[in-house]
Amino acid sequence: MDVVTLIWLYILGLVRWLLHEAPLQVINFIRSLPTLIPELLKWLWDFIWFNFKPLAQIIVIPGLAFILLFAMIAVWFERKFLARAMLRIGPYYCGKRSGWLQVIADFLKLFFKEFVIPDDVEKALFLAAPVLLPTIPALAITLIPFDSNWVLFDAGGLSLPVFLAIAGLAPVIPIFAGWAANNKYTIIGSFRTAYLYVSGEIPLVICAAASALLAGSLDLVDIVEAQKPIWFAIPQFIGFLVFFVGLILEAERTPFDVPTAETELVMGWRTEFSGVLFGFTMMAEYVSFLGWTLLFIVLYLGGYLGPSLFGVPLYDHIFWMLLKLAVIVVIVVLIRTVYPRLRLDQTLRLGWNYLMPLALLNLFITIILKWGLMI
Amino acid sequence: MSLLKKLVKPFLVVAPYVARSSQTVKYPDERLVFSERFRGRHHLDLDKCIHCGLCARICPCASIVLVPVEGREGKYPQIDYGTCSLCGLCVDACPRGALTMTDFVEFAAYKRSELVYSPERLAEVPDIKEVLPMLKRRIRPVLTDKEMKYEVVEEL
Amino acid sequence: MTEPEVKPEVMRISWGPQHPMSGQTRILIDVDGEVVRRIIADIGFTHRGIEKILEKRTFIQGIVPIERMVMADTANIALGYVQAVEEALGIEVPERAKWIRSLICEMGRINSHLYAFGLQVECTGYFPAVFLWTTVDREVLLDLFEKLTGARWSYSFFIPGGVRADLPEGFRDEVKRAVKYLRRRFQDYWDAMVENPLFEMRNRGVGILSREDAIRLGATGPVLRGSGVDMDVRRDEPYAAYGDLDFKVITEKEGDCFARLKVRFHEIEQSLNIMEQIADEIPGGPVRTKVPLFPRSKPGVEALSRVETARGELGVHIFTDGGLKPYRVKINSPTLRNMYVFERLAELDKVLVADLPVILYSIDPWYLDCDR
Repeated sequence: MDVVTLIWLYILGLVRWLLHEAPLQVINFIRSLPTLIPELLKWLWDFIWFNFKPLAQIIVIPGLAFILLFAMIAVWFERKFLARAMLRIGPYYCGKRSGWLQVIADFLKLFFKEFVIPDDVEKALFLAAPVLLPTIPALAITLIPFDSNWVLFDAGGLSLPVFLAIAGLAPVIPIFAGWAANNKYTIIGSFRTAYLYVSGEIPLVICAAASALLAGSLDLVDIVEAQKPIWFAIPQFIGFLVFFVGLILEAERTPFDVPTAETELVMGWRTEFSGVLFGFTMMAEYVSFLGWTLLFIVLYLGGYLGPSLFGVPLYDHIFWMLLKLAVIVVIVVLIRTVYPRLRLDQTLRLGWNYLMPLALLNLFITIILKWGLMI
Repeated sequence: MSLLKKLVKPFLVVAPYVARSSQTVKYPDERLVFSERFRGRHHLDLDKCIHCGLCARICPCASIVLVPVEGREGKYPQIDYGTCSLCGLCVDACPRGALTMTDFVEFAAYKRSELVYSPERLAEVPDIKEVLPMLKRRIRPVLTDKEMKYEVVEEL
Repeated sequence: MTEPEVKPEVMRISWGPQHPMSGQTRILIDVDGEVVRRIIADIGFTHRGIEKILEKRTFIQGIVPIERMVMADTANIALGYVQAVEEALGIEVPERAKWIRSLICEMGRINSHLYAFGLQVECTGYFPAVFLWTTVDREVLLDLFEKLTGARWSYSFFIPGGVRADLPEGFRDEVKRAVKYLRRRFQDYWDAMVENPLFEMRNRGVGILSREDAIRLGATGPVLRGSGVDMDVRRDEPYAAYGDLDFKVITEKEGDCFARLKVRFHEIEQSLNIMEQIADEIPGGPVRTKVPLFPRSKPGVEALSRVETARGELGVHIFTDGGLKPYRVKINSPTLRNMYVFERLAELDKVLVADLPVILYSIDPWYLDCDR
C-alpha cells in the first residue's frame, strides 16, 4: 500500500468514528456526570485532609499568611508607637480611629502605581531583585520549629547550618540590586550593605555555634528541647547580648541602618525602585527581621517552651513563640525611637572590635561550661 | 557603669511619653480658639468708613482697592486675599476703626477671582459652622507644669 | 554657575535640591571613597530680591517684607531694619518699647534655636522623638506670640517709633509659666539626647574649626562661639534693652559639632533667664512715639544697625535720598558667611560623607537669609 491510500483509509476511519462512536461516548460521559463531580470533590477533600499539616504550614504558619500578617502588623505597630512617642497620633482615619487599614491601603496603592524602569539598567537583575529579597528570608523561616512537631522543612538534623547558609545568601541581592540600578547613590548604598553584612554575620555565627554546642546538636528542635531546664539566655548571657545587637545590625534597623540612610543618600540601594518593587523591598526588611528574631528566640529564649513557674513547666504551645516575638518587636521599636544612627565606620568598628571578641569569649565560656558539666 | 547608665537613661525618659496625650489638633473635627488680637479675615463696618483711602495707601502688598458699592455713596475697600499678608497695618491706619480683624481663616476657594472679597462680603462674617459642617468641638491649649493639654471650650 | 572641572579620581555627587535633607540648596561634593575632598555650595535657589523690594516700599511698609526674609527668627531681623530706619530718620524710642523688643527677640531666639536643635538631631538619623518634641515646645512660644501680637510667625510688631501694641492683661504671668515649663523640658532634652552616648559618638570630633580659622574665615554666631571666640553684639554694642539686662555669653573651646550644639543649648537657658528678668522688671510708660504714616527722610543719610540673630550677626545698612522710600538697603546676613566657612571645612579637616549633614546642620544654615 502506498502513502496516499493509507492517508485516505485513516481519514475514512476518522469520519466513521466521528459519526458513529463519538456521540455514544459523549452520551455516556453526560450520564456519568452526576456521580463524577462528587467523586472529584471527595478526592480533593481526601487530599487536603491527608496533607493538612504541610498545607497549613505552607499557607498559614509559618508560611505566607504569617509572614504577610507580621509585616503588616509590624509596620502598623511601628508607626503608631513612634507616633505616640513623638506626641502624635499616627494613622487615624483609615480604619475607624486606629488606622489598622492604613497599611493595607498603602500596599494596595503601591500595587497600582506605575513602576518606572530607567533605560540604562540591567532589566533582568532590576526586576528580579525585589522579588528575591523577601523570598530568601522566607525560605529560611521554613526551618524554624514553632511547636515540637510543627517544622515545615525537615533538614535531616542540620537545620541550624542550613538556616545560616541561606541567611548568608541574603546580602548578595542588595549588592546586585544597587549595581543594576546604574546610579551613584545606589552603588554607594550597596557597598555599605556589603561591609555591614560581612561584619555582622561572623559574630552571629559564632554565637549560634556556641548555643548549638551547649545543646549538643545542630538541629533546631533539639536545641529548643535542650532548653527545658533553663533557657540559654542565662548561662550564655554575653552571647545573648551579642546576638541581640547583631540581630539589629543584620536586619538593618536603626541604629544601624546605614545602607538606607535617608538623610544622606536618599534611600541607598532602594532609590531607583518604585511602585510594587518598592513595596517588596520594604516588606523584605521586615521579613528578614522576622527571620533573625525567630532564630534568636529559638537559640536563646526557649522557642516554644513556656516559662517554668516555681519549677513546674507550663504547657508548650505555639502561643509562647508569638508572645516572645511580640516582646522582642516592642523592644526593637523602642530602640529605634531612642537612638540616632551610627556612622558606617563606627558600626563596623562595633562589629569587628567589640562584637567578635565578645562572641569568641562566649564560645570559650560555653566550652568550659560543657566540659565542666560532662565531667 | 556610667556608660551603661547613660545608655539606659534615654529609654526611661522617652518611654513615658507613649502614655501622654497627643498634641495633634484633629482638624476639622476640632478647631482652636484664638486670642482676641488674632489677625484673620477683615470685617468692614460700612457705616463707619469715610472713604479716606489710607488703608489702600499703607498696604505693603497693594491688596486694597477702593470700589463703589451699589446703594451707597462713595467708594469702599475691596481686599484681595490672594496677596494680603494679614499684617494689620490697614487696621492701624484706619482713623475711624471701620476695619477690624476677626479670627476666621478659612479662605479656600476654587478660583483666584473668588479670593477677591468685595466690600459687601467683607461686611458679613459667616458662622464657623457654615464653613466647617463637620466641626464638633472648640478647644484651647492649657499649659500645666509637665505637658500642654487641650481642653474643650465648647461642644457643637 | 560654571562648575569647576571634575578630577578623574573623584566622583562628583550633587547633594542637591532633590534630597530629603539638603534644604533649599545644592551642594556639590567631590567624593573619594568615603572622604569628601571638596565642597562647593551652590546657593541662590531662594533669591527673591528682598533688598530691591525694600527699595519700593515706604519706611513703615518695609516692616512686612523684611520679616519674610528669615521665617524662623523674624524678630531679630525686623529689629535690625527698624533700628536702622529710626537712626536714619532720627526717631526716639520709649523705654518700655525697648524692653518689649528685647522680650520678643529672646523668644524668637529660643524659637530658632529649638528648631535648629531639632534639625541637628534629626539629621543624625531620624531621631524621631526629639525633633517632634521641639515642635511641640515651639507651640508654647507661638501661643505666647499669638496672644501678644496676633500672629504666630510673621508678627510685624516692630514699627519705627516703638512697638504696635502694649502687653495684654496677665501676659507677664503667662511668660513666667512658659519659662517654668520650658526649663523642665530642657532637663528631658539633656537626658535623652545630649547625654546619649550614640549621639555624642556622631557629633564629637566632627567638623572641627579651630579658633584662628574661625576668625580668619569670618564665622559668626554659635559657629564662632563654639570655637572659643568671645564675641556677641548684644554685649559688645548693646541695643534695645540689653544694656540693662544681665546675661552670660556662652563659649566652648573644642570647635566641633558637639560644642556648637552645647552653645545653642546653653544660650536657650540664658534667653529664658532674660525673659524672666524682663517679665519682672519691665518699666512702665508709652510704647510708641507718634510718627507720621509716611515719614520723609533727609537726603544723604546713612544708618547702620547690627543685631545678634540666632544664627549670627546681621547688619542692615540704609541709604536715604530725601524721598518717602529708602534709596538702598543692604543686608549682610550671617548664613552667607557661615556657608563660606562650611565650604572651607573640607580642606581643614577630614570630612566623611556620612558626616556631611551633621556638619551642615551644626552650622545652622537658613537659606532664605543666605540668598535674600
